[in-house]
Order: sequence, then structure tokens, then C-alpha cells
Amino acid sequence: MKLLDKMVAPLDKALERFDPLKKAEKGTGGQRDRYYDKTGVAKWREWRGVKDTMVDYGAWLNNILSMVQMVASAPVPILKGFWEYRWMGSYLGTFMFIDRLFEGYRGPELQIAHMNMHAIVQSLTKRIAFALKNDARFGGGPDTMNIIPHDETITPLFLKGFKGLYPFPLQTLPEFIICDIDQHIEPYYIDVAESYGLPADVCSRCAAETGVAIDDAFPLFGRVLLSTNMPCNASEATSMFQRRRYAKPDFPITLAMQHNNPEALPYSRETLQNAMAFVEEHYGVKYDWNEFFKYARLMNEQNTIELEKWDLFKTPYSPLSGIAESLYRLYSWQSVNGQEEYFNKVDRKVIQIMRRCYEKKYLPFGGKTRHRAFLWGPSAVYYTDFPTWTQNCWGITIVLNMDSTMGYNIINTEDPEIAMDDITRFTEKACMRHHAVGGWENINAVWDWAKNFNCDMVLMNDNIACNGMLGVHGMMEEQARDLGFHFIFIEHDLQDSRTVSRQDMRNCVNKYMSVVLNEKPLDPTIVEFDDAEAY
Amino acid sequence: MKKILKMILKVLGKFLLIGLIGFVATFTLYITNGENKLIYYVIRPFLNKHYDSQVRDRKI
Repeated sequence: MKLLDKMVAPLDKALERFDPLKKAEKGTGGQRDRYYDKTGVAKWREWRGVKDTMVDYGAWLNNILSMVQMVASAPVPILKGFWEYRWMGSYLGTFMFIDRLFEGYRGPELQIAHMNMHAIVQSLTKRIAFALKNDARFGGGPDTMNIIPHDETITPLFLKGFKGLYPFPLQTLPEFIICDIDQHIEPYYIDVAESYGLPADVCSRCAAETGVAIDDAFPLFGRVLLSTNMPCNASEATSMFQRRRYAKPDFPITLAMQHNNPEALPYSRETLQNAMAFVEEHYGVKYDWNEFFKYARLMNEQNTIELEKWDLFKTPYSPLSGIAESLYRLYSWQSVNGQEEYFNKVDRKVIQIMRRCYEKKYLPFGGKTRHRAFLWGPSAVYYTDFPTWTQNCWGITIVLNMDSTMGYNIINTEDPEIAMDDITRFTEKACMRHHAVGGWENINAVWDWAKNFNCDMVLMNDNIACNGMLGVHGMMEEQARDLGFHFIFIEHDLQDSRTVSRQDMRNCVNKYMSVVLNEKPLDPTIVEFDDAEAY
Repeated sequence: MKKILKMILKVLGKFLLIGLIGFVATFTLYITNGENKLIYYVIRPFLNKHYDSQVRDRKI
């Protein structure tokens, strides 16, 4: 490897002038130079030096291969899907999305980021093919009636005890993941919902889901619908709209909101058991605990590795941080949830790289990190690469994201009675729920987390339409002052980029960094730029 | 023996040539961001026109 480095060194030197990081260092340019204005379309891809450009190119090829496999596995349903569903068209923005996410990444940061991202791509492409192949709208497939459509905020692991059935998070394809990829897709569905009288000041995630339902844009499969009250009261409302439109027997999995309270556990446990009985009744499949244990073991391994990762995050030597960490954890926990062994394989490889970096005292991002931040509160889905921007522009590393702290309890894999309690606790600690609802102490836990992970800064996502979180503004600011954290509220409108643009979000950080901390940006070309027309 | 070696070298050469052409073509597409330009300026506008003309079965 060292020989290869020596061989490419002259070429690296010669082409250094194209590397945006080097250009920013020398004051001759930066990341934004290679973009057409507003669109987010790059004139050329980032030159990262020979080795890292080849790593990025290899990952690009690998992702293309997954997409080719997706189309080849179900060509007609895929084409029909592109023609029928507006959200399918947005998936074409995936390559631009991945480029945005890992701008400025080099070395092990880039390697890990692509390993994590490819896990998502290969999983998502298979899921798209599976959903469209079995979509009753296109004539259905062999598993149309074996799919259990469930709300995406319900973790599917407990449903894996039904052998031969396939839990499927209904909103993930048309609403959640696609908003990460294309900031312009959900405003269309939000407008559909609002044209039917939904007020404009509700949570945009719920408004978007409602719009997808009204627009008849969910894939159709399954015998039932498992809806939920998670993560919050707005979700209860959107569940009601969706179940009307989906028009299948529905079981609302209403888990306890005050989930820290041990007295709430029997209630939530009974709800899950009733949901299992509901599925047994409608699908005629008996719950098999041994089948469940198989997947619980995979989830346990992922969580064990995750806890080791957290120990490494506490040091300055972790090459995994920011969006490479949080997007992967979000998808691998909430959506995969122990169902795909591929993610375990990736985790095993990633933790080895992380251990090596720790042993070598490797400083990621060229040692340019100035602040270690904990990102708290649900993040803007339309600005997924925000952590990449904070790193590249101001040297703020997002050490961990609130949504990465979802259920990490180990599930018993021998005794169904104990396992039932464990899976209930696990399910209660779902995405946007573990800390965003369930009592003041959950929200206020941010200070302990930030302290434990050696952060000097807290970036507090401020979803302006989240009625629950609006009430805590003043108190959080007061506490940050008392505890001595740098504290920035990042205003956003979750899935509606029209209300608070990406630049508006960047301005929240820009103002604090320049006015309060009097710091200079690492890359001045990305302090202020117009990406309103970008995906 | 010589004949077999020659044949192996010929096949290997062909593979290398195909690999090289494949690499040059895909790397050019990659570095010029070609596929994204095509998607952003051609395919998506075409698809959006189609989506905008759809009559959806909208109801609560």
C-alpha cells in the first residue's frame, strides 16, 4: 500500500490544483467552484487525489450495479413504477445525493461512508423491486398477500416471528427516504394534503404522508395495515387519513407515550401482543419465536457493535461521524432492524477499520475539526448533507445524532417471556421518539449525551411545525448557557424546504460562528450559496 | 505449448483491452458527472411533464 502511495504521489501533486480541499486551504477556491449555480449539478466530480477518487469511483460503479440488478430483477414493474409514481422519478437523484453526502471525505472516512451507503443502496434497490413486483396496482406478484404493510415508525423486528411474511414500512419509499434524496418531492404531496383542507402549520412529515395517501401514491399490497401513534400526536392524525385511504383491516399499535415509566411497559407489551394476534388472524400464520430469535440475534450483534462504536466516537480518532454515521444507523436500525445480514457484515468490517484508526491515533478530516457537536432533535429530512456542510465549512463534526440513540437494549433470544419485554422496550425507543417525546427528561438528556461524548457544542434541530418541541426553546437556551455549551438552534420545516431553505439553515450556523465565536470558515465558497433548485 | 501460451496471452490481451475501454468510458462518465447532467436536464424534466399531466384518483 505504501508502494502504491509512492507511485501515485507525483500524479497527486500534479493534480492537486483540482482538489477543492487544497484550493480552500490555499485560498484559491473551494467546493462550490465546481457547481452550476442554484441547481446543485456539478460540472465535474470532486477530485480527491488518485486513491480516494478511485475509491469513490469504485463505490459509484458498485451502486450502479445494484441499480442495474434492481431493474433486471423486475424490468416491467420498475418501468411501470417510474411511470405511475412521482416519487419513483426522484430516485434518479440518488447519485447526486451520494455525491453531496460525502463531499470533502477522504481516506478511511470515505471508505467507511461508502461501505455504509452501499449497504443502504443494495437494500433499498431490492426493496423497491420487491414492492413494485408485488404492487397490486400492477397486477401483483407471488408475495402480494404475504406482505405486512406497517407504519415506518414501527420497528419491524417483532414481526419477524411470522415465517414467510414480509413486514414492509409503507411510507419509507414514497415519503421518508425520498425526501432525503430530493428536497422538491414532498412539497408536492404536502400541497395535495393542504388542498383538501389540512392546515399548513402541522408537521410536514405527517402532511406529506397524508398527501401520498390522498394522491393514491402508496404501493398496494398486504391484507392489513399496522398503523401507529408513533412518534407523536401528529402521527395519530396522519395514521387516520392513511387507514381510510388504504382501506384494509387496520390495527393501531398505540404504544405508551411516557415510555420511560416502568408501569407503561405492560400496556405497550399487551398492544404488541394484540398486534401479533391480529396478524395471526388475518394471515393464518402462527408466531414462531425461534424464527424471531434468528433475527433478534442479528439485531443484538448490530447493537453490540454500535455500543463499541460509541466508545470510539468519544475520542477524536473516529473516522465515522456526521451523515455517514447517522443515515446508516437510521436506515439499519429503523428499516432493516435485524432483517438483513449484509448490515452485520458491514458493521464487522467498519468496526475493524475504526479500531485500527483508534490504535494509530488517526485524526479524521485532515485534523481540521474545531468543534465536536451533538445533533439533537429530528433533523431536516430535505437537508441530509447538513452535517457534511458543517464539517467542510466550519470544522464542526457531528459526533452523534439523536436518532442514532434508538433502542440499543439487548433482546433475550431464549425465553419468549423475557424477549417480549425486551422487544417492547426496543420498539418503544424508535426513531424520532426515543428522545423527542415521552417526557421532559428524554429531551433534556441531551446534556448528558453531549458531555459523555466530549462535545463542546449542541446543534438543536428546531422543527418549526413541531408543537411539542416549540415549548422547550427558552429552557434549552438557558441550560446551554448554564452548562457552558455552544448552542445553536437550527430552524427547519422537516420535509418542506420552501418554508426554511437550506441556506436559511446554514445561516443559523453562519451567524453563530462568525458573530459569537468570531471564527473564519474553512471553505469560504460554501458559506453562502444558492442550492434552491438542487435535488 | 507455445501455441496454448499464445492463445492465453491473446485472450488475456482482449480482456485487458475490453477492461481498459470499459474503464475509460465509465471513468469519463463518472468524472464529468455525465449521468447526473442527463438526469437533471433531460430525464427528470420529461418525467415531471408526464407526472404533471397525470389524472390522479384523489380523495380522502
